[in-house]
Amino acid sequence: MRGAAVRVEQLTKIYPDGTRALNDISFSVNPGEFLIIIGLSGSGKSTLMRCINRLVEPTAGKVFVDDVEVTALEPDDLRRMRRQIGMIFQQFNLVKRSPVLTNVLAGRLGYVPPAWALYNYFPRDLREQALRHLTTVGIPEKAHTRADQLSGGQQQRVGIARALMQDPKLILADEPVASLDPATSHSVLRYVEDLNRREGTTVMCSMHFLSLARRYGTRLIALKGGEIVYEGLPVEIDERRFKEIFGEEAVEVEIA
Amino acid sequence: MGQNATTPIPRAPEVPRPGAGVFRVLLWLVVLGVIYVYGWQVTQINLGELARKAYLITPLLNDLVRPDLIERRPRLQVADAGIGLDGAPAPAPLETRSPGRITLSPAEATIGARVTVSGEGFEPSRPVELVWFDQSGVKTTLGQGVTDAAGRIQATVTVPNVIGTAHHIMVRVVLEGTTLGPSNTVRLTFFRIVETIFLALMGTTLAVVLAVPLSFLGAKNLMARTPIGTAIYYVIRTVFNIARSIEPLILATVFAVWVGIGPFAGVLALGIHSIASLGKLYSEQIESIDPGPIEAITATGASMLQIVRYAVVPQIVPPFIAFTIYRWDINVRMSTVIGFVGGGGVGFLLMQYINLLQWKQAATAVWAITLVVAAMDYLSAAVREKVV
Repeated sequence: MRGAAVRVEQLTKIYPDGTRALNDISFSVNPGEFLIIIGLSGSGKSTLMRCINRLVEPTAGKVFVDDVEVTALEPDDLRRMRRQIGMIFQQFNLVKRSPVLTNVLAGRLGYVPPAWALYNYFPRDLREQALRHLTTVGIPEKAHTRADQLSGGQQQRVGIARALMQDPKLILADEPVASLDPATSHSVLRYVEDLNRREGTTVMCSMHFLSLARRYGTRLIALKGGEIVYEGLPVEIDERRFKEIFGEEAVEVEIA
Repeated sequence: MGQNATTPIPRAPEVPRPGAGVFRVLLWLVVLGVIYVYGWQVTQINLGELARKAYLITPLLNDLVRPDLIERRPRLQVADAGIGLDGAPAPAPLETRSPGRITLSPAEATIGARVTVSGEGFEPSRPVELVWFDQSGVKTTLGQGVTDAAGRIQATVTVPNVIGTAHHIMVRVVLEGTTLGPSNTVRLTFFRIVETIFLALMGTTLAVVLAVPLSFLGAKNLMARTPIGTAIYYVIRTVFNIARSIEPLILATVFAVWVGIGPFAGVLALGIHSIASLGKLYSEQIESIDPGPIEAITATGASMLQIVRYAVVPQIVPPFIAFTIYRWDINVRMSTVIGFVGGGGVGFLLMQYINLLQWKQAATAVWAITLVVAAMDYLSAAVREKVV
């Protein structure tokens, strides 16, 4: 499956309390890219991610995914668009009391008749598909465990399996490894990278470790105060640029 | 990203004069002493009375540890035959295991008619009682006598003035010796305990039906988005708090006056009180919902119904069930006390026994309550463990 192209035009988000989270941002992502978005906490990374699938409604500007203007979609069309965009979260956002398999199957909700939800019904082939995705991320034996019994790394893998269920052409990963230890971070990111390389799925991934950005990203944009302050190849960022992005106080932390 | 910041070493705070602290502690001790001395006097605590008046409580305690559980009852030999009135066919006999058998002639009669009862196969020379067993289960004695040396019975009775068409005439032969069985108190207590459990169940159910919708109106995260919503939130929360502060005992007294003494008054009292306590617990649960899963499920392109089913329901339903079962458990306990003021159930029975100074019977009720409360406690804990 070909990955999606994303185009963001003059995107601005002002929250009701007056916070200007994004200020007139424009950039585009080519199909199959692994775009890294770095920036400090509060720089607008999460808001940007959520404006792409309109979990956060932009104040102004346009977002295109494969030349479809997401920002102009009616609710039903927006749902059809969202089901092609997988999302991975810093806090995993699993339904903790539900079994792992149900959490994975939830990724398919956009494709199945809503009435099925009343009986918690998923057809056999979807259940098998969910189990395959759990095998892909290496935890098939956890299918019937409650999600909150899993370690952080395992929970994030369930989050990835849930996104895989969507057959996404775009993955939005909002600081997917910020709550994980370095070794686990790599194993989680490798699954995303694998999806990106094998299926050509476009990935937009925010993080704040430059070493991980250099290792996985094909391109990088840096946000500061809701504006893009750098755009280019991850390897081109040196200490001087890094200090420009994060301020003089910042020291780069290596992740093995 | 670390920060290389140096913070100035704070100066040591000024040490207060040593005398001041000791003086303050002494002052507090004196104040506490005064409070407890006054408390001791005002509540008339008199530990000596516990020992001196022990003789008053001993018989009562003796009765409490020997509850009225079993009793000797005369052994009976029972046989019956159906009788149809006003042209209706005679119904089948109720008791068929007895060796004795009776026949009626005629088996179809009218009110005031004479019917001959003849029976055989009973114990010879024993007292016998003839009973009319009417359609609604009421028993009326028709006459008494003695079986003959061959174990036969022969009697003529008049059909009493009864309502309905299908009745039975019953013969009860009193045998020698007695049997041990559960006492009448045990049976009464059992029925009242069942009534109590259902009283609590109905009260809790009534509360759940009303508390679930109200709790959504009383959840700040849902309501405090608009001024009207905020107003509704405060109204609901205030109602919850006021209703919760009224003791179920007082509510039961009020409802016993309103709808009469009995379990219905208890259901209403427990229901009203539980609406408030469950409503508050439910609302707090809704307020503590994690928005993360809702966000994640929304991002998959799920519809509103699917979001509620997969992101909201799993977060609130198990705790709702746990709270509800816990409340039922509490209500079973409360309903025993509520019975004291006319709320029905085993409490009402217990109060009657206590008023009649029937301590052994009261003991039966107390032990039954203890057993049921302990069982409910265990059950509700087990279910809560499983659900949450």
